[in-house]
Amino acid sequence: MKYTKNKLEQTENFEIIRKRSAIITKIRSYFQTNGYLEVETPILSPELIPESTIEVFETTFSSEFHGERQFYLIPSPEVFMKRLIAQGSGSIFQITKSFRNNEQIGKDHNPEFTMLEWYTIGSDYMDSIKRTEALFESLTNGNTPEWFRPPFLQKSIEEVFKEYVSIDLLKCQTKTLIRNEAVRLGLSPNKTDSWEDIFNRIFLSFIEPELPKGKPIVLYNYPRQIQCLAKEIKGTPWRERWELYVKGNEIANCYTEEIDRRKVKTFFEIEYSKKAVSARVISDIDNKYYQIFDNNYPECSGVALGVDRLIMLLTRSTSIEGVILFPFSAMMEE
Amino acid sequence: MKAGAIDKGIALLIKGSPFIVVEREFVNPGKGSAFVRLKLKSPATGRVLKETMKTQDNVEEIIVEDKECQFLYSDEAAFHFMDTETYDQFEVPMVGFADYKLLMRDGDTYKVIMWEEKPLDIIIPYKVVYEVTEAFEGVKGDTVQGASKLVKIETGLEVKVPIFIKQGERIMINTETHEYVERVNS
Repeated sequence: MKYTKNKLEQTENFEIIRKRSAIITKIRSYFQTNGYLEVETPILSPELIPESTIEVFETTFSSEFHGERQFYLIPSPEVFMKRLIAQGSGSIFQITKSFRNNEQIGKDHNPEFTMLEWYTIGSDYMDSIKRTEALFESLTNGNTPEWFRPPFLQKSIEEVFKEYVSIDLLKCQTKTLIRNEAVRLGLSPNKTDSWEDIFNRIFLSFIEPELPKGKPIVLYNYPRQIQCLAKEIKGTPWRERWELYVKGNEIANCYTEEIDRRKVKTFFEIEYSKKAVSARVISDIDNKYYQIFDNNYPECSGVALGVDRLIMLLTRSTSIEGVILFPFSAMMEE
Repeated sequence: MKAGAIDKGIALLIKGSPFIVVEREFVNPGKGSAFVRLKLKSPATGRVLKETMKTQDNVEEIIVEDKECQFLYSDEAAFHFMDTETYDQFEVPMVGFADYKLLMRDGDTYKVIMWEEKPLDIIIPYKVVYEVTEAFEGVKGDTVQGASKLVKIETGLEVKVPIFIKQGERIMINTETHEYVERVNS
């Protein structure tokens, strides 16, 4: 959508603006009628959950009464929503602006974007697939194109690695073994690559671009080596995590949330130390955050869904910039 | 240079051979660091290589030189050019550029990218105006696109255009997608 001085009604994009509004209304109504409480949490936060691969925006609060303090724009509302769950909120959802720095701008990314995040108490990641399917059904009033229509295809990461590149990940748990496979496929991994880097090189070169586009597909059970707050599956190298692709676009991801406070604490330590080495902005963390995961913290599953990408697909737009009012790239040109 | 700075159209040395970057896409896998997904083409063999690099990876960019060259003609195997400064004639094997045959016009001047005295790439402007040499019957298009039909332009390429385009008119084509852009009144 161009940053235009024309009157809105005269642009062909006006139809998309109306569709965007209608889709967001339907999302809201779906969660409200299914027992979720809508919440609004801050987008400026003094601490974040450390994620070594995400660059964040930083700003300074300054006041003659209160002094100065660094704040960060949230890359997702997770940090606050998990606190609400600890306080007994029950199942909650939120549609909020989130921010990520240092990503490319254009087709799939805008530094400021709209995220839908919801947490379901007493659920795991597999329950959340059904919930997401039901949400999708509610968005299209029965007139659903095949590429959007549930049930979603479901494949484990283990399966797609076997199917697309003949790699048995269970037999490639060390860096040397997975590196050998990458080299066999013609890739050139770096000496400094981690297991996760090599995994991603293979996945992004040969699997992600080839995923089916005629049906939504969920890839589930991601490797443990990819650090995140998804629960580990005992006795396996996997975590209870999935990613949803629609027409080849990554739309949503989900975890059965890790609620073991020792594991959360370890995650914070590992990711914070990685961030300290690689990030431009090293956001503060709450050293006591793990303490919210006490014995009463409920089992739950969280899903984050990119609303702009969803609307891009539903309006047949080719870029998220087509469904965002005043996209970033247009403002950069000003 | 860092892989994050790779742009479409530049040349890289990969395992000792030159490759042209034909597609570049940044990807951030869920919970992963930033990668750049590349499609590279070998001008020597036409072979297409897929490669995914971390944006922090080091890559070797080839220092190339570009020459203004007049396109003379093509035969089965090659495009024949003349360097407009030295009047030297040379050929570019067609193998890596077969699809350019439908875009280049005899007599036009193009930039040819040279590396170690060898032609590496031919640059076709992003948008070019061509004459419509054959206009076929109109076909009813889908309702979103409006009515459209096929025409042939002077280089032999067939293009889908709005129904009002007539033979002999000049139209602008996007040379990457081979799509009609607009009618040009001159």
